[in-house]
Amino acid sequence: MSRLALLRSMLAIRAFEDALAVHPECGFQLLSSGEEALAVGVCAALTSDDQLLSSGRSIGPALARGLDPGAVMAELLGRATGPCKGKGGRGHLAQPSAGFFGAHAVVGGNLSIAAGVALAMQVERRPGIVVCIFGDGACGAGALHETLNLAALWKLPLLFACDNNGWSISTPRARALAPRRLSDLATPFGIPAVTVDGMDVLAVRDATQRFAERARAGEGPAFLEGVTERFATHSTATRETRSADEMAAIRARCPIRRLAATLERDGELDAAGLARLERDAADAALRAVRFAEASPPADIAEIARDVA
Amino acid sequence: MIYKLAVPGPIEDVDELRVLLWHGEPGTRFAAGALVVELETHKAVVEVRASRPGVLRAILAPAGDWQQVGRTLALMGDDEAEPLPADAGPLASWLVEFEVT
Amino acid sequence: MSPDAPKSTRLFFREAIARALAEAMHADPRVVILGQDVGPLGGAYREFAGLHATFGASRVRDMPVAENAMVGIGVGAAAAGLRPLVSITYMDFVMLALDPLVNYGAKLRYKTGGQLHAPVVVKATAGAKGQGVAHSQSLESWLVGVPGLTVVAPSNAADAYGLMGAALDHDGPVVYVDHKRLFPTAGDVPDAPVRVPIGRATVRRRGDNATIATHSYGCRIADAAADRLAAEGIRCEIVDLRTLAPLDVATVASSAARTGALVTLEEGQLPCGLGAELAYRVREEIGPIRVARIGAAPAPISGNRLLEAATLPSVEDVVVAVRRLLERPATNPRTR
Repeated sequence: MSRLALLRSMLAIRAFEDALAVHPECGFQLLSSGEEALAVGVCAALTSDDQLLSSGRSIGPALARGLDPGAVMAELLGRATGPCKGKGGRGHLAQPSAGFFGAHAVVGGNLSIAAGVALAMQVERRPGIVVCIFGDGACGAGALHETLNLAALWKLPLLFACDNNGWSISTPRARALAPRRLSDLATPFGIPAVTVDGMDVLAVRDATQRFAERARAGEGPAFLEGVTERFATHSTATRETRSADEMAAIRARCPIRRLAATLERDGELDAAGLARLERDAADAALRAVRFAEASPPADIAEIARDVA
Repeated sequence: MIYKLAVPGPIEDVDELRVLLWHGEPGTRFAAGALVVELETHKAVVEVRASRPGVLRAILAPAGDWQQVGRTLALMGDDEAEPLPADAGPLASWLVEFEVT
Repeated sequence: MSPDAPKSTRLFFREAIARALAEAMHADPRVVILGQDVGPLGGAYREFAGLHATFGASRVRDMPVAENAMVGIGVGAAAAGLRPLVSITYMDFVMLALDPLVNYGAKLRYKTGGQLHAPVVVKATAGAKGQGVAHSQSLESWLVGVPGLTVVAPSNAADAYGLMGAALDHDGPVVYVDHKRLFPTAGDVPDAPVRVPIGRATVRRRGDNATIATHSYGCRIADAAADRLAAEGIRCEIVDLRTLAPLDVATVASSAARTGALVTLEEGQLPCGLGAELAYRVREEIGPIRVARIGAAPAPISGNRLLEAATLPSVEDVVVAVRRLLERPATNPRTR
């Protein structure tokens, strides 16, 4: 995936969420703004054989994986044309046929599931690896440690991708987790681990690529920690606890601006080019919104379908 | 004398058992300590050994049969010649050692 | 036995389970087993005996004590194409696995709009047998109201075999509840590969005077009680529920409509238990009817032999309940 393509992917997520955030039917959402580089960098190393799972912060991962933005917007706005027919929403967004095994809204709940998917691939000797994106908020949960243990024991083709934005809603990492470097959590299990700047999409991509190759070769799991910044509040229903000055400093570390600056420095992009890309992204987001708005709402008869 | 061979009960948590394998047939002579029959409970295999010498005279519960603990599985004798009684009920028990493995 | 009677073999309860698994594993390479002590040991009750030797360590995997991840892995593997059986040695510890089982497994088909589903069997051994307050519980009633979750409970070797086959065939998550006190028992199991259909209770014993609706080990208690009551001229009909979710209310209601008296029997707790559900559902079907519920006393089940026996429902409890129920005036239930 070219660097320009990485930039486009991040821009698409940002514009999509900007359009969603102002929509009257936005509802309860967890936004990925600021954390796009982690999702995009991870997905850049994946093929169509692989499966991606995420936490409830699923919009970045789903779009980075290549899901159609219109379908994703439809799912978020509860329309029948979403991949889950409007029944899952953001917290359970999924499209396994597109390599997005899905989001799960329970903190840490998708980790052992991801290990199960990896086990199935391993037992059936399918090509492909599994990546599970989870937040620092899941790192205190027993689910992570139990899953690390089993993944190591069985050398599962599973990458643990920790999106460490430093916050469990309102609790900063230092008050929630004893280890400062979360990749250290994997080391006792003998799992190779690295911490990278999660605002640097190229660093995320390169680290993921190395671990993915190892896993594809049957050498087992790995743990990637990307240190990110969360630009919005934890969710649309949560108050901001950081000051305006803090937020200004945080937003200055934007992963999109960073890659754009690199591309401009290398002569691959100029200001006009960037403006064009931003407009394209905004247009695409608008098309996604229009598609969703034009779609019928979820069918109430669906309450009786696919229960058992 | 003719004796009856049974696994003495009660055995904790065991009601019935399956006869697995007789290590002999009518006429086989067993020394003290020899393995006579293997039985299976729901938990484990039970080895039933002779606690004194004797001859297997009749198998009443062949391999594959199910029996309650304490019921007669076979008739044992001091020799081959003595005629078998019609009723096994009043016979003395032939002492066995058994080990749950 | 008539020459046309289907052939059967007497098996220990555990052998019936092992046979169902062996057949399924021979037929379908996707069937795998995860659990503590399921490998070389062959299971706490030897219910997996021989499977590790036959199918190998990749398909019969010993797990560390980590029920949450174990069930999560089983559910995830099922969603991705395997057909796992996850063994929880004591049903008490299904509590640790409720998140992956209920929040993911049972909801997966619905939450993904049908794109994914989780054909996983979670086998859990319920029942009290001297092992103490945290190793004795019967928690079926906690699971029967979960949309998307099927719960089955065999009471004998034949059904242990038939329900395991059905559970492994089922396209969604199934909790298969066996019972510590059933493992010492033996029963005739058909030689043919028959399945017990999910969702159908069966009448174990015919009678006209009272219906006892129960499941699992309760069927043996009910049978012993029915023997004693028969000597008093009271003929009990015993309905073995076999599937707890979805509950076959129709079979129980039809029996109760004929006998006019319903006793429910479970080893679990009575509040919001199977008896409470059945009593109300049967009433919905056939109108008011004499009902009594029997369950464990509202106390933790001590491993102390005397206290345990006093906490659990007994044969005497059932006999007394039926007698007392029949002393109450009959109603006129609607026959179906």
